[in-house]
Amino acid sequence: MKQVVVHPERCVGCMQCMPACAAAHSRSKTLFGAVMEKPLPRPRVHVGVGLYGEGFPNRCRHCDPAPCQMACLPGAIYHSPETGTVLINPDRCINCASCAMACPFGVIRYHQDYMAAPGKTVAVKCDNCVGRQADGLIPACVEACMARALTFEESDKALKRKTDEMARRVSLGAEDRAPVESPGFNLLNAFKRAQLAVEERTY
Amino acid sequence: MRSVIIGNGVAGINAAEAVRSLDSEAEITIIAGESFPPYCRPMISMALEGTVSHDALAIRPPSFYDKLRIRALIGERAESIDLAKRAVITGGGTVVPFDKLLIATGADPRAARGERADLKNIFPMRTETHVKGMLDALKEVKHALVLGGGLVGFKAAHGLLARGIPVTMLIRSGYPLSMQVDRPAGEMILKELQARGLEVHVGVEVERFEGNGAVSGALLSDGSHRECQLVVVGKGVYPAVSFLPPEIEVDLGIVVDERLQTRVDGVYAAGDVAESFDVARQTRWVNAIWPVAAEQGRVAGMNMAGRPVSYRGSLSRNVIRIFGLDVMTAGLVNPPDEREYEVVSRIDPARKTYRKIVFRGDIPVGMVLVNDIEQGGVIMNMIHSRAALMGPRDRLLDRSFNVKQLML
Repeated sequence: MKQVVVHPERCVGCMQCMPACAAAHSRSKTLFGAVMEKPLPRPRVHVGVGLYGEGFPNRCRHCDPAPCQMACLPGAIYHSPETGTVLINPDRCINCASCAMACPFGVIRYHQDYMAAPGKTVAVKCDNCVGRQADGLIPACVEACMARALTFEESDKALKRKTDEMARRVSLGAEDRAPVESPGFNLLNAFKRAQLAVEERTY
Repeated sequence: MRSVIIGNGVAGINAAEAVRSLDSEAEITIIAGESFPPYCRPMISMALEGTVSHDALAIRPPSFYDKLRIRALIGERAESIDLAKRAVITGGGTVVPFDKLLIATGADPRAARGERADLKNIFPMRTETHVKGMLDALKEVKHALVLGGGLVGFKAAHGLLARGIPVTMLIRSGYPLSMQVDRPAGEMILKELQARGLEVHVGVEVERFEGNGAVSGALLSDGSHRECQLVVVGKGVYPAVSFLPPEIEVDLGIVVDERLQTRVDGVYAAGDVAESFDVARQTRWVNAIWPVAAEQGRVAGMNMAGRPVSYRGSLSRNVIRIFGLDVMTAGLVNPPDEREYEVVSRIDPARKTYRKIVFRGDIPVGMVLVNDIEQGGVIMNMIHSRAALMGPRDRLLDRSFNVKQLML
């Protein structure tokens, strides 16, 4: 079963996964249409305040057992074994935020959504794009990520690749040639961090 | 293996499910004091408020017991435990032998003090039956009195105010939720409620309730008088341990080890009745809240089924939405000794946001968040896991985290 795998070292903080996710969870399914909708569709993946720091695509890990599911008071959160997805039923949700308190990753948000009853604020989080998957598409965040920080693959394959990468680094004195994933962005971010540090010192 | 569970709250239910999932042959018996199907106790205040229907309180269907092949003694209470014979005797006279026993009897609400506290329409708010009674009385209620500013009193006040009923609240500390929040957050909460019609009096108790059959007023200790047709008593709970034999050690609650086992082999305790190790306080404590009961029930059940699982310890925590404010708290919020603890905090009165984190060394041990609560769980889990913060502390005061910067 394929899963979304996150490779944080590759994330450059471009945040394209976010509008792609929001658009995929809109009525119109396009970015242009989504920005006009009410309620405004929102992303389920969060890159965090990445000002002058590397990005990190923070998305639901679909834990098993899931702390949010165990914390949910009305039993609105459930596990779908076929897709390995933890889902929230917006009709059972009472917006109590017990799930946010339980989630160690801080990936749940509360807002209105076209899938919920009109005017009702509910808990919303990544749903593994199960709707898109059913249509033969891959999750929207993966499709949007140009840095390949988000991939959609069998976890065994991803682990094997990481093991091979690690083996290559360990062998042949590879410490000297430790691969830098995005040297341009690293340099840019270092420059911005230095700029910020200088500004703070001035005060 | 005969597993007997006293109590069908979330601790008892989760324990039963854990046993069944690990042992398909176990004989499981639940002695259920409440006849309503297993339900979510924290949600009863929402039934009072009117935002959920009474039926929506149930968290398992009526077929729950049959589906898991649990023998359920509904409406029965355990009267005594015969440790020599290893059997529970119920009030109805049923003898229930056990190999493993879980005491998940919860806690009972303290009664109101003051004369004539036996009048009708003076309720604790612990069970769905209490809330049903309140809802039945509601149409005659022009003014309500709430005793206690803790979670129960507070949620009752919030629910009644949401229904448009003016509320007078009598509290002991200077601000509500004094066990959960600190003074700055408590005062923000107090202001919010007062703006919605809550009248609060500090340090005042009820001397005498008045009424003819049903309560119609109260004489207070400062000499004043309040008309009220409904009284909600939120004066705390005490663990339901009166029926236990002396071999089972009881302190603040039933003392359990990290397997949730009591001093007696094969006898476990979980939930509001149990006293386990508190991760933030680093001492034994009773945290009588829903998520603790849920996790303890599960761990106790696994141990009863023969799977040795260590419970990492409890943590007090709470999240509550009060009109214009969201409040999330966890752990040690008011540190006892300023020298051992370091506090970082940030308040923005214009945005109505407040965040305070208490550190002991590099490990966060307590937090209060007013608004911007969405990622509070990140900090809460650091507290529960006793994870040291590697980066700058004030990063945790930001609304949203760049996870990489936190180096989690």
